[in-house]
Amino acid sequence: MSDRPRTRRSSAEMAAPPPPIPAPAQQPEATRPRPVEKRPFLLDFFPLEGEKETRLSRFYQRLREGRLSTTRCPRDGAIHWPPRTACPKCHTEELEWIDLPEEGRIFAFSAVLGGAPLGMEEEVPFAVGLVDLTGVPLRLFGRIEGRPWNALRIGEKVRVEPYDVGDGRVFYRFRAPG
Amino acid sequence: MTPRSVAVVGGTTVRFGVRAATWSELAQEIGAALFRAVPELRSEEVDSLFVGAAEPERFAFQSHVAPLAAEQMGLRPTRILQRTELACASGQSAIRSAYAAIAAGLSDVAVAVGIEKMNLPSMAEANSAMGCVLDRLWDGPHGATAPPFFAMVAQRHMLEYGTTEEQLAAVSEKNHRFANTNPHAQFYEKTFPRDKLLRLPLVAPPLRLGDCSSMTDGAAAVVLAAEESVRRFTSTPAWIRGSGQYSDFHNLANAGSLTDWVGLKHAAREALSRAKIGVQDLDLAEIHDCFTISELVEYEALGLCPEGAGGKFAADGRGEVGGDLVVNPRGGLLGCGHPLGATGIAQAVEVYQQFAHSVPAARQAPDPEWALVHNLSGSANVHSVMIYQAGGPR
Repeated sequence: MSDRPRTRRSSAEMAAPPPPIPAPAQQPEATRPRPVEKRPFLLDFFPLEGEKETRLSRFYQRLREGRLSTTRCPRDGAIHWPPRTACPKCHTEELEWIDLPEEGRIFAFSAVLGGAPLGMEEEVPFAVGLVDLTGVPLRLFGRIEGRPWNALRIGEKVRVEPYDVGDGRVFYRFRAPG
Repeated sequence: MTPRSVAVVGGTTVRFGVRAATWSELAQEIGAALFRAVPELRSEEVDSLFVGAAEPERFAFQSHVAPLAAEQMGLRPTRILQRTELACASGQSAIRSAYAAIAAGLSDVAVAVGIEKMNLPSMAEANSAMGCVLDRLWDGPHGATAPPFFAMVAQRHMLEYGTTEEQLAAVSEKNHRFANTNPHAQFYEKTFPRDKLLRLPLVAPPLRLGDCSSMTDGAAAVVLAAEESVRRFTSTPAWIRGSGQYSDFHNLANAGSLTDWVGLKHAAREALSRAKIGVQDLDLAEIHDCFTISELVEYEALGLCPEGAGGKFAADGRGEVGGDLVVNPRGGLLGCGHPLGATGIAQAVEVYQQFAHSVPAARQAPDPEWALVHNLSGSANVHSVMIYQAGGPR
């Protein structure tokens, strides 16, 4: 059926690939923000983001600077999500980082009207959705803020929005124009 | 070496629901029920035990559950003792592992048991447990759990094919009606007419409460035996004739179109071709209706109807007794509840009992020979399929 959505878009269809980001300078140990855990670690979905905890700390550092980024395989140019430490195809561990587009369009959405995980109960109701980022073959899942769920529409534009989790950690979400 | 033939030779379940029982007590209860249901079974001949348990660490704060289950059930296996975990398909994984062990000659008589205790004092903690089935680092912080994901599947299916809430309700009404023939079902003696289903509160739009399976405590067990000893247990074995599994993603970003369940097509093709049958040969299917939309998409991916026609298949009653084949006669996950590790085993129990013609007439498939059991797990990113053939006198 020609009008069905494609399962995956090929990288050939995307716009010119963004350039790799140079590696950031190492932050001195003492100034690095330390996560403060509000909940027991195993009941807290937000990840530990520091250099001592993850090989992807650059993702969170770049997010703190306001940009969503991910890894790309330098051999075939495939863009990964989530960011990786090894390519799933050629298994090289020498991946490069790219910034991702700052907007996209809603592919599908719903809302959590009850039954939220621990620590998110007071945020109910909240909208979540899958968003096709503009110009890259990525469809990311995330919260959609800015409007009640029943005022969102498939196909409308949303912006990527990094935000402070509240304890020094950072994550990302989408925001629909108000 | 030619693999040996393997059959399910008996099994049973405990009552599913919000149970005043711990994980260990559910294990004891299913052990006692199994020896009553299969009186020919002697504990010392069970050489292997496979325990389907999805999240005992989260729901019961208990790891190393295989020896715990053995102790509670009164079993001392000498060959293989292990837990199988594949989230919502953990039970079917236990059966598949027992099947492989017996076919290979490493086991002669095995028990596959599934046990899950899901109702906790804190519903938020239980929801967190369900959330960590998904990609906890990347999808978890957004508050992802199963209902919003399957809701997006429903939203896309409605957009692309014009599927309606009424068609979703047809699935829920059918499975709840079947559950009224099953005293072990969580929603036994509870009626859900379609107009009532359409008025229940939204959980994750467009899915309402009646579109979603529930948090359920439960356990189920089956005995599997090699061809040499099958007839000692039963005259109506359920022979395992095919098996297939497929996974094509885990993170929600890689879920593709949402409505085309490629993984199920692969898994079903593998299982059916091993059994040397086509989907039109099936008399009975126990498929994974964790949400009403799941059953609709499964009709399509299994090839029971064209893509996009799942809603019509449901509304036309083609999965009823007297339809093309009987789908989810025990009441499905919607009617029975969904104790993750027990579900896949309870489906096999239903197949065994259908082949033995020992279920109430209101849900009995007419003289069934072939049955398919399907479980998805996670965000429908894994599909597991098994094919059974009735081996009793025909």
